[in-house]
Amino acid sequence: MNTIFKLQNVTVEFDRHSIQLRSLKEKIAAFIRKEQPQKICALDNLSLTIHEGENVGIIGRNGAGKSTLLRVLTKVITPQHGKVFVNPNRHLVPLLELGIGFQPDLSGRENCYLAGILMGYSRAEIKQRINNIIKFAELEEFIDEPVKNYSSGMYARLAFAIATDVQPEILLVDEVFGVGDEFFMRKCIVRMQRLMQAGSTTIFVSHNLDFLITQCTRLIWLDKGKVIMDGNPAEVVSAYRSMQGAA
Amino acid sequence: MDLISLRFTWFYALTQLKLKYRYTSLGFLWNFLEPAMYLLILSFVFSVVNRMNISDYAVFLFSALVPWRYFEKIVNTCMDSVVGGDWLLKKMHVSPFSFPLTRWIVATVEFLISLSVVFFIFLFLKENWTYHIFILPAIIIPWALLGLGMGLLSAVLYTFFRDVKPLIQMFLTLVFFSSPILFKPNLFDPNSLQAKLMQWHPITYFAALFQKPMYEATFPSSLDWGVALSVSLFFLLVGYIAMHRYKGRFFFYL
Repeated sequence: MNTIFKLQNVTVEFDRHSIQLRSLKEKIAAFIRKEQPQKICALDNLSLTIHEGENVGIIGRNGAGKSTLLRVLTKVITPQHGKVFVNPNRHLVPLLELGIGFQPDLSGRENCYLAGILMGYSRAEIKQRINNIIKFAELEEFIDEPVKNYSSGMYARLAFAIATDVQPEILLVDEVFGVGDEFFMRKCIVRMQRLMQAGSTTIFVSHNLDFLITQCTRLIWLDKGKVIMDGNPAEVVSAYRSMQGAA
Repeated sequence: MDLISLRFTWFYALTQLKLKYRYTSLGFLWNFLEPAMYLLILSFVFSVVNRMNISDYAVFLFSALVPWRYFEKIVNTCMDSVVGGDWLLKKMHVSPFSFPLTRWIVATVEFLISLSVVFFIFLFLKENWTYHIFILPAIIIPWALLGLGMGLLSAVLYTFFRDVKPLIQMFLTLVFFSSPILFKPNLFDPNSLQAKLMQWHPITYFAALFQKPMYEATFPSSLDWGVALSVSLFFLLVGYIAMHRYKGRFFFYL
């Protein structure tokens, strides 16, 4: 089975009081006083491997390191320690937030091109797909309006349609459900299921445990940047719930 | 830079140029008026100070001031480009080079527009046109490379230290007023300290690239080319290395 991601002893730390440390004056003062900045450990010596075709869910309380982990997998964050391998032969689409790359003053159509380019498509490829995207987002009448005039539902629909019209081989999703009205939300879930059935490797970060149990083949429970449990979704959720109940 | 980042850089630069003029009626015209007014006012003031014929002085001044303003604009706009790109750099993997490069492309397009303004003004001010002017496309290159190199370097410095902006701007002002852009180097005695300092000032050679074909009707010397190309490539290399070395740390400072 092909390895898609491999993390070895990955550590990501953030500086506490990082706003003051962005000044040359403070940096020189800290150097003279021989002060070391205090660190917050978001991922703590974490190792894990994800294979092709796996549908992995990541759970944990706020601040557990879930979003940091997704950012490491998408190469947005370079960890201070450890090794990260991301299979370069697979097309990865990150869906960490809806509307990444959207420019409010550009029209919906222009934003389709901008977001499509960021997802790795050429202008010609986007041109071929754009009618499908507009149709799925139900925005035929408004596609040439600037997106700053869109309602939040229209904005999210367009963003979701662009991100999922493609056929990604790896899809990383960070809590982006709850898109538009109920009818559209159902359409989104059907599309996600279709992507998963088509063999895409998917990684979800979500607090919706019921969704994760039904859709994932593996669940990883993170706490304070460490893997607490990794395995069968129903077992991990049961352990997680009992721990939450005890806390 | 990967293919996605290259495509993004080009498309984003085009959208920035489009957006700049989309919602303004005077927008595109202002791009011509602003440098024209600036140049005319400066030439009037400094021709009085330098006691020179205004049209002669204006040709001298414009020839080096226009590329200097281009260079200054690149450095100033590139400086906060990485920090300003946090909307994407915190959410998606894109090369951080994309953001200073976008600003560089936009500044270069605006510089080419400014050059057309200068030529229009020169039609009224300049009496003798010579074939030396045809070297113009080549002499833009060292200025563009120097701007990009310094722009990359300033973007790295500003990302880590937000209080360096006034220091960099002061440095640019010092370089500008100590260089032979506003005044002619022959103002000083050849043996004076000022004349010697001028010889060691790198911008002297960058300015000469424009001043010689546009004002003196000669080609730049090999020394002008040598110094300008070496300095610009040196700063481009330093800027590239700094950006490449620290790009992994940017996320934590955005």
